[in-house]
Amino acid sequence: MCEDYLEAILNIVSLQNRPGRLAEIAEALRTDTATADRTVAVLAGEGYVVRCPGDAVDLTEQGRILAAKVARKHCVLQCFLTEMLGIDTDAASREACTLEHEVSDDTIDRLSSYMDQIQPAPRHRWGNVEHVRPLLDFAEGDVVEVAMIRRFGRNRRLMDLGVLPGERLQIRRRLHNRSIVIRVKGCDIAVSPEIAASILVERSP
Amino acid sequence: MRLALIGNPGVGKSLIFNQLTGLGVEVSNYPGTTVELQRGNTCYRREMIEVVDLPGIYSLEGDSDEEGLVRRFLQEGGADAIVAVLNVARLERNLYLLLQVAEYGLPMIVVLNMADEASKQGLEVDAAVLQKLLGVEVLLTAASQGKNIEQIVPAALSASRPATVDIPYDHHVEAAIRSLHKMLGADRLASIRALQGIGDDQELLEAARTIADEIENRHRMTIGQIIAANRHNFARQIAEAMVRRPEPPQYPDLDGILTRAISGIPVLVGIVVAMLLTVFVVGSWLEGLIVGFFEVAAIQPFTALGLPPLAERIGVSILVALQAGFGIAFPFVFTFYIFIAVLEDSGYMTRAAFLADSAMHRLGMHGGAIIPIILAFGCNVPAIMSVRLLGSRRERMIAAFLAAMVPCSTRTVIIAGIVASFIGIAAAFSVYLVVAALILLTGLALSRATPGERFGMIMEMVPLRRPKPELVMKKSWSRLSEFLFIAMPVLLAGSVFLGLFEFFGVMSIFERMVEPVTQGLFGLPGYAATALVFGIFRKEMAFETLAILAGTADLGAVLTTLQLYIFTVVTVLFVPCLSTIAALIREVGSKVALAVSLYTVTLGLVVGALIYRILI
Repeated sequence: MCEDYLEAILNIVSLQNRPGRLAEIAEALRTDTATADRTVAVLAGEGYVVRCPGDAVDLTEQGRILAAKVARKHCVLQCFLTEMLGIDTDAASREACTLEHEVSDDTIDRLSSYMDQIQPAPRHRWGNVEHVRPLLDFAEGDVVEVAMIRRFGRNRRLMDLGVLPGERLQIRRRLHNRSIVIRVKGCDIAVSPEIAASILVERSP
Repeated sequence: MRLALIGNPGVGKSLIFNQLTGLGVEVSNYPGTTVELQRGNTCYRREMIEVVDLPGIYSLEGDSDEEGLVRRFLQEGGADAIVAVLNVARLERNLYLLLQVAEYGLPMIVVLNMADEASKQGLEVDAAVLQKLLGVEVLLTAASQGKNIEQIVPAALSASRPATVDIPYDHHVEAAIRSLHKMLGADRLASIRALQGIGDDQELLEAARTIADEIENRHRMTIGQIIAANRHNFARQIAEAMVRRPEPPQYPDLDGILTRAISGIPVLVGIVVAMLLTVFVVGSWLEGLIVGFFEVAAIQPFTALGLPPLAERIGVSILVALQAGFGIAFPFVFTFYIFIAVLEDSGYMTRAAFLADSAMHRLGMHGGAIIPIILAFGCNVPAIMSVRLLGSRRERMIAAFLAAMVPCSTRTVIIAGIVASFIGIAAAFSVYLVVAALILLTGLALSRATPGERFGMIMEMVPLRRPKPELVMKKSWSRLSEFLFIAMPVLLAGSVFLGLFEFFGVMSIFERMVEPVTQGLFGLPGYAATALVFGIFRKEMAFETLAILAGTADLGAVLTTLQLYIFTVVTVLFVPCLSTIAALIREVGSKVALAVSLYTVTLGLVVGALIYRILI
């Protein structure tokens, strides 16, 4: 939300070559001056903007850097959405605006924590209720299909060996200490228990 | 002209490399890494052609040292032509890397190796499909029979060209590639790499990150996962178009024995014990020959020259160092390397690592760490050099630490020569038990105390094969020369220093100084300390020096049972030998080397003193 303000101020400042007035900022963000004033106060408190005489607001060096980053992100997303959707630039620009702040710097972390929390959901197939379960729940010789892999970013090697959602695996060996050998794409891969535990699978049809 | 061989581990790359280059292979470390790079030369139509054997990898976009190295090598234009080697019996998985290599757009040819293995499995391979798709020359070879290997160099010289394939990516990824091209002018390869966070261009990386976040939010999959899945799917399509497989033939499954706990662990133990016994027996016999030969052929004639005492002292020190170096290198290290090369080339090592994985976890490492530990029983130096195979620095440190404590074959000489012969077999075993217990405790403590992330093991079990004798010898030989290269300078310098100390009477001053300490703490005479110091060169020198200083080989006559036992325990635990320290410095850095040395010295002294206190 605050990032919109910084971007708007940057636009005004670079177009007019002078500090932006509160009214201009409110107009650019389609809001009233009172709301704009409150937000500017917050931004000033964080050291991104400074108030200038005559109800005007200017960016600090820190604010300028952040605003430029937001603007770049906006621009990239706009281009991407255009390419992807084949929609006109204006519509893409609006969508990009609502999207850019949800795109945080640690999406992968959030993604993996999301995947850690997720509970295996029952799936229906030909009337049987099949559960998505950890690979280690299955026995030697079973053929299974990968449903999901937790903490994927840390196991790049699995991905390069072809252990990806949808891939069929055969359990070749399963020791009592939970070390496991899986056959994937015709190759046998030995996997440590803690990594095997992050592979969720379901029985292959 | 330089060719580079690139491919998955275990596709026969090294065999091809060896057939192309013959002798004169240079093993070098790539700048800034410990990853080995083999270079060799071959001659074709009077042109000298350099061949580089890149380490086996699964992907160009992974984060392992090897993958980073190959990526850098390709980026920096390290080769004029790429020879991509594939195992045609595991085509689909191998195509995944090939597609990545093809994306780099460097001049290349493709070698589908192991055609013999594929036809044994009843596979019919149509190389023309790949040739048409990639627009590059594709050869079908069988390196183990030398079939079509001679075509590789001519094809690479005359017909290598950039591949023309575009991997069909997910439409989001394709949109991202187009966006990055429009906005920043990035090409397809740079965009794909930037989306996965690889590259140096900060502006491009930032833009790619923004788009990647957006795609990930929509897919609930990481961008790396999406790209990998696209490549794997394409690889599968190609493989299905290329290979016809009638009926998968049934062949005996040796893995049924090797990777089950009930049968596998006895086999593992049996192999290790048989190997150690053989190395020990063959090694001691050869060592006697070599040391004796040096004595008669070099040291005695040299002393007979009657040089001035100082020159004679230095000369003898140098000869003794050479004697020590070769006395370990050929008998123990070389014999051991041969065994290890056989185990590696046969594919057994991966089975051992799988079996040991769970046990190794307790010590803070994964199954692969069984390799340095087994190696250490033969000689600590190759053991420590092998820790580079382990994934993380944390594991490398723990493995190096523990490997340096494992009683190597020369320490076995001491245990056998002193404890077993003067006290008894049971006492000799008790020394092993004490050391084993200390290694376990150290491992448990280290696994808790060492910082760094824990990684599990993801390891391909390479197919079991019969090792090629010439390849085994070549591998062992190149490792042996690496060993000599590390150990010799240290041995020479150390030996000259000690010789000088002795010459100027520093040793006897030292003995007088430490006599009260050794007497009080361990009940040992002062000359035992000198023997300990000499043990730093070559562990069994401690034994020999002790015999010389005691004035008799019948140690039982001059020292009590307790004294002999304590001396042995302290020597076995005390500082790894100089060659080991040199290897430690090279592989894990001087800080860890210092820590290992201090720790083992302290441990040796403390345990020795404790035994003296308890048993007196």
